[in-house]
Amino acid sequence: MDPLFERNLQLTRRHFFGQTGLRLGGLAMAHLLGSPGRALASAAPQVHPAQPGLPHFRPRAKAVIYLHMNGGPSQLDLWDYKPGLKEHFNEDLPKSFLGGRITTMTSGQARFPVAPSKFQFAQHGQCGRWVSELLPHTAKIVDDITLIKTVHTHAINHDPACTFVMTGSEVPGKASLGSWISYGLGAATNDLPSFVALMPQFPEGSNGQALFSRMWGSGYLPGKHTGVVLRSSGDPVLYLDNPPGVDRSDRRAMLDTLGQLNQHRFQQFNDPDIQTRISQYEMAFRLQASVPELTDLSRESPATLELYGPDVKRPGSFAASALLARRLVERGVRVVQVMHRGWDSHGDLPNQLGNQCRDTDQGCAALIQDLKVRGLLDDVLVVWGGEFGRTVYSQGTLTETNYGRDHHPKNFCMWMAGGGIRGGVTLGETDDFSYNPVADPIHINRINATMLHCLGIDHERFSIKLQGLDERLTGVEPMKIIPQILA
Amino acid sequence: MSVPAPFRLLARAIVCLTLSSRMVAADPPLSFNRDIRPVLSDKCFACHGFDPKTREGGLRLDTPEGAFATNKKGKAAIVPGDPENSMVWQRILSADPDEMMPPPESHKQLSGPEKEKIRRWIGEGAVYQKHWAFEAPAGPETPSHGLDGFLAKSWAARPDLLPMPEADSGTLIRRVSMALTGLPPSLEETDSYLNDTAPGAYDRMVDRYLNSPRYGEEMARHWLDVARYADTHGMHLDNERQMWAYRDWVIRSFNNNQPFDRFTIEQLAGDLIPDATQDQKIATGFNRCNVTTGEGGSIDAEYLFRYAVDRASTTAQTWLGLTAGCAACHDHKYDPLTQKEFYQLYAFFYSNADPAMDGNALLTNPVMKILPEDHAERVRGFDEQMAAVQRQMDAKIPEVPYTDPAEQDPKPAVQPTDNVWFEDAFAADAKVNEGGAAAQFVEAPEPVFSGQRSLKRSGQGTVQDVIMGGTLPLTVPHDARFYLHVFLDPGNPPKEIMIQFNSGEWKHRAFWGADLIPFGTVGTPERFAAGTLPETGKWVRLEVEAAKLGLSPGTSLAGYALTIFDGTAWFDQVGVTGQNDPASDPQQSFKAWHRASTGMNPPGLAPDLLAVLAAGPESEAMREDLHRLRSYFLQRVCAATVPLFAAEAAQLAGIAKERETYQNSLPSTFVWNDLATPRDSFVMERGQYDRPGEKVSPGVPAVLPQLHQSAPGGRATRMDLARWLTAPENPLTARVTVNRYWQQIFGVGLVKTSHDFGTQGDLPSHPELLDWLAVRFQESGWDVKKLIRLMVTSHAFRRSSAAPAPQWQADPANRLLARGPRFRLDAEQLRDQVLFASGLLDFTAGGRGTMPYQPPNIWEPVGFAGSNTRFYKTDTGINLHRRSIYTFLKRTAPAPFMVNFDAPSREQTCSMRERSNTPLQALQLMNDVQHVEGARAFAWRILESCPDSHPDAPGERLRFAWRTVLARLPSPAESAAVLDFYRSRLAKFQASPDEAARLVTVGESKPAAGANAVELAAWTLTANLLLNLDETITRN
Repeated sequence: MDPLFERNLQLTRRHFFGQTGLRLGGLAMAHLLGSPGRALASAAPQVHPAQPGLPHFRPRAKAVIYLHMNGGPSQLDLWDYKPGLKEHFNEDLPKSFLGGRITTMTSGQARFPVAPSKFQFAQHGQCGRWVSELLPHTAKIVDDITLIKTVHTHAINHDPACTFVMTGSEVPGKASLGSWISYGLGAATNDLPSFVALMPQFPEGSNGQALFSRMWGSGYLPGKHTGVVLRSSGDPVLYLDNPPGVDRSDRRAMLDTLGQLNQHRFQQFNDPDIQTRISQYEMAFRLQASVPELTDLSRESPATLELYGPDVKRPGSFAASALLARRLVERGVRVVQVMHRGWDSHGDLPNQLGNQCRDTDQGCAALIQDLKVRGLLDDVLVVWGGEFGRTVYSQGTLTETNYGRDHHPKNFCMWMAGGGIRGGVTLGETDDFSYNPVADPIHINRINATMLHCLGIDHERFSIKLQGLDERLTGVEPMKIIPQILA
Repeated sequence: MSVPAPFRLLARAIVCLTLSSRMVAADPPLSFNRDIRPVLSDKCFACHGFDPKTREGGLRLDTPEGAFATNKKGKAAIVPGDPENSMVWQRILSADPDEMMPPPESHKQLSGPEKEKIRRWIGEGAVYQKHWAFEAPAGPETPSHGLDGFLAKSWAARPDLLPMPEADSGTLIRRVSMALTGLPPSLEETDSYLNDTAPGAYDRMVDRYLNSPRYGEEMARHWLDVARYADTHGMHLDNERQMWAYRDWVIRSFNNNQPFDRFTIEQLAGDLIPDATQDQKIATGFNRCNVTTGEGGSIDAEYLFRYAVDRASTTAQTWLGLTAGCAACHDHKYDPLTQKEFYQLYAFFYSNADPAMDGNALLTNPVMKILPEDHAERVRGFDEQMAAVQRQMDAKIPEVPYTDPAEQDPKPAVQPTDNVWFEDAFAADAKVNEGGAAAQFVEAPEPVFSGQRSLKRSGQGTVQDVIMGGTLPLTVPHDARFYLHVFLDPGNPPKEIMIQFNSGEWKHRAFWGADLIPFGTVGTPERFAAGTLPETGKWVRLEVEAAKLGLSPGTSLAGYALTIFDGTAWFDQVGVTGQNDPASDPQQSFKAWHRASTGMNPPGLAPDLLAVLAAGPESEAMREDLHRLRSYFLQRVCAATVPLFAAEAAQLAGIAKERETYQNSLPSTFVWNDLATPRDSFVMERGQYDRPGEKVSPGVPAVLPQLHQSAPGGRATRMDLARWLTAPENPLTARVTVNRYWQQIFGVGLVKTSHDFGTQGDLPSHPELLDWLAVRFQESGWDVKKLIRLMVTSHAFRRSSAAPAPQWQADPANRLLARGPRFRLDAEQLRDQVLFASGLLDFTAGGRGTMPYQPPNIWEPVGFAGSNTRFYKTDTGINLHRRSIYTFLKRTAPAPFMVNFDAPSREQTCSMRERSNTPLQALQLMNDVQHVEGARAFAWRILESCPDSHPDAPGERLRFAWRTVLARLPSPAESAAVLDFYRSRLAKFQASPDEAARLVTVGESKPAAGANAVELAAWTLTANLLLNLDETITRN
């Protein structure tokens, strides 16, 4: 079909259904976009349809799970293997490296002593990738992931850096990645929100930095695209549970009467918003049933639970959140953002980083394996990374076995896997001190552009008009996708 | 991909219909501003517009000069009247990818109708107009029906739009009450309006609401979105910030109907008004509301830059409706605003005296203490009380026996001393660990050296107890040796023990063990290595000579600290030994004290005695003065005589404490102050803080009228800027402002993009009406209440919002107002409404933000460990039920009741909220404790509205409930449906009274004594139903 005509057709249909109050638009849309596949099946009318003309081209992925390691994981101790650093232990980092933006936490240090990683690295998988001993489980899935060693950002502090990775800008107020995707592609389910945020617990004693609601906020996009926080204690979705003494039949009876009265009102006023309201109250009722089923992990097979490790039984653990992420995308949720805190190792790094990895390693690997076994990995894009990396020089006292590292924006590691991404690829190379990229520097917005690409969205054409600008997730500077890592 | 056939046909039919109806319509001449500029602006100006840096081929199409100019070949982009010979038209038609415009790589395409418009406009002569918003409002004549006359004109050509009749009285009073006060009308108000049959009843009703103190609260809410007001800093720790006085000032200002020009001037330049009042200074908080950071490691210059960018952009957007922020990085692509002009605006705000790092402090300078009106009186009261006590003390002096030991012959003998500073407790009134973890006192069986208790300290890294002040004098004697007793935990010993002394500064330390505590310079008295760690598991006495720590005899110590690194230790009996020589001891000899205190400023000494003190004991001071100085010594210093004044001293301390309590109770607020010397401002290349380019001084964009400087030739001030914004010739401020109020009252602005009056913004739906309102507003002396009254008394506002379906389709957003405004209530209104209906609403105004019900784990999972807004502490009592404008706003984790209903996070200025419609909203309105408790309290009012004995009690009660919420009576069908529901729930709760009891006890407030839980529960659910009706959550 002629794409322009298709777009017009969608526009017209949306307009038509909007006017008549019929709610069939989504059904037709789902049909138009082709069968969404087992993972994202939905036969009900679509409450939030895609924007007209989206996706721009055939998507490789239909959903995203973003594993955000908040605080800045140390690339030097996990992925960016620099065996040569041992010889430079406690030597000053050559002056030629310094300069540029350094945080004022270490810019006043008299020395910048090189701190080699104390951890052992070994090669894994067919691709032979070097992986730190801190990630024994992730080491098993290296052939499924693309590792990018040269991601860079402008920001040197947590707040602007987190805001940057998640909204494409350091300045608060923009829309988050997940809300953009929800806005663009709509929901593939009527029973759950299209964008869900999870905040698992993190190890006690780790340096847990703050999260900001703008990381899953909708900024200037309509509020319905705000990430819905799925909570591990209390109501899993805010206000989900009926009040004490009110059961599902009370609510049903109340909604029946409410719907009848609102319908009556609609017949007098003809305001189409009344129809929308009726359907949103009905969706609320469905959520009350679907969310408890979603968060009940007890029906997972023993083999699956074992895959995620013993922590999976602890509600709110990272492992449980990873499993929940799989269940969410399975049920048609577009974006799941898991934000694990505590990676800000300014001091006592070996100990703190060890705890962080023990908390997350098995869950990350299990998620990939689990998706793969279920045939979902082709449809789901998984992304792992923090907001920046860490310096090769030690912050504070350096010994053979203990050191700290400050924020490092010039190169850090992220990995991607699944829908549209090649496995076993390593992209980018850093210098001997993991201080600057020497090949393939990748701006953080190129990661986001590539994610959109995997979802069938041309990030340059994906914009809304705001204050005279075409606002887009990937900012005003031209940003290319990363073709080398695409399957 | 395939489409079901019927849909395809239907779609084609609609497309055809749309096209054919366009063709049939008569074609009035095109207007550049209405028809052409939007197309060119969107599709062409990015490369052929105002910004020379991105201009392609040297061609600009935004001016006639540019568009009509001929190139070398004698061809012009536009030849007026001749599309075929206009290059623009040829390139639009071209199919060659290298030729066609817009080029394919721009991802912009002209639609068929857009192309046709351009062709016709060129054919009609290509008449350009200046962007409408930059021309002064024309001040059109008032049509016969005033405001409504303008609207009527727009229906004339629209047979598909018929003006709806006036809404019924109940709907009207609820609409007005909601619009002007954010609350539904009370039953009394509704009755009084319905019973007022005299002419002018509607106007009287409007005036009642305009004069209600609730009016200011409703109006302020909208302004605070624009001002980005909140109660936290907004970044990283997102700690609390105290500037609610600004919020309260905004409310007061609206209630007092402060003219909008004064409102503007005070917020932007209140500090520059000669003899500015306290309120005028509070008003300058407007541009202190921006987000700030205190994150360790940040670079100062970067944040000073960002704050000024935010302040300049917010100001431009608020008053000029210009999106100036775009020009921070490059010349504006669409509006005639250069990057340099942006930095000229920025220069007005780049010299605020606030620091780059907010210090995560409640108050970041510049701040101002807010004094109540009777402040001077209160202070005088304290002074007088203290003077009276002082007189009593002076009267006792003649009876005090005292001889200065220095004047005795022979001088008294030298004696050994031992002053114990800590034994079971610290000295009375000592300040221990201010702002830190409390000191931990333990008793046996934990280790105790002497007395009943010891002091325990454990932790990771450097941890300590800090003891400041206290009544016991901490004076260093001759031959002083400090001592302390310690017991180290054998299982978890500290790596280091340290004692520190403060002689005005923390510069005296002794440590035992590893040198890990990072205080002071190694190898100096600031960090004296006193030895190895003592044996663990037993009490050991550690000693160190004062001389080793640089402390000489007679030194007064302000405090001391006991510090460890890792592990656990117990401390007991801390003090100092030495030699006492009465003749040279400042606490025994007046002369010795006088000598030791020369040049000091002892607390409480009369100022005129300072000179006497400074002159020293050997001077020939006036006898009387020396006598007064001696009185001070005896009353406050001398160890032997001070106890004689204990009663008076206690009185003085009591008064001082009262005064301090009073002073501390005074809140402060963020204000604007400039640095004494303004910072130089530069154009920042590509908007980067570290790439200054050309130097600029404060100024305004050239496309707008000239700025008049109060000091010609000097530096333009913020006062000049504020006056310029409100000058009669400024084409934007009045338009932007009346448009924002129009949006507030009617739901959508006359200019829909109320934040953008530039060329990318929407055109006004009724340009003449906008200008008429703007001119009237200025001519009225910027009278906001008058403007609001004008709007809400219009026919447009009073029309019924019910309309036939085709009319909704013809004007879905109701821009033409043939029907009355109808839209969902805002977040605050929804919460306030349920509080109002329930009778729980407390009208206490102002003060620190309240913390009403909020589900657990909104703040906690995101907060930084050290943040003081990490834990949400729900208020109790009236603060649970205050109006929502007073709710504490934490930017990085805003209250769900706010964000769920599209309230902004206040991280940036916001002049227009979304109005979304989501399932999470439904869940909140049904299940939030605030709404459930409210429904129960409302249910009790419903039950109380009619005695059980009434023959139709349920019906009566329902009518009461319905009128309370909707200001109208239910129809028989509505009544029947709700009563059915009520009866079915009554039956259910009768069968399960336990469930009823659980429902009616939700929330902190208790159900009324003697309430029948079953009936109350059934009505609670019924009230919950009524409060969830679409009509209830809508301003209908």
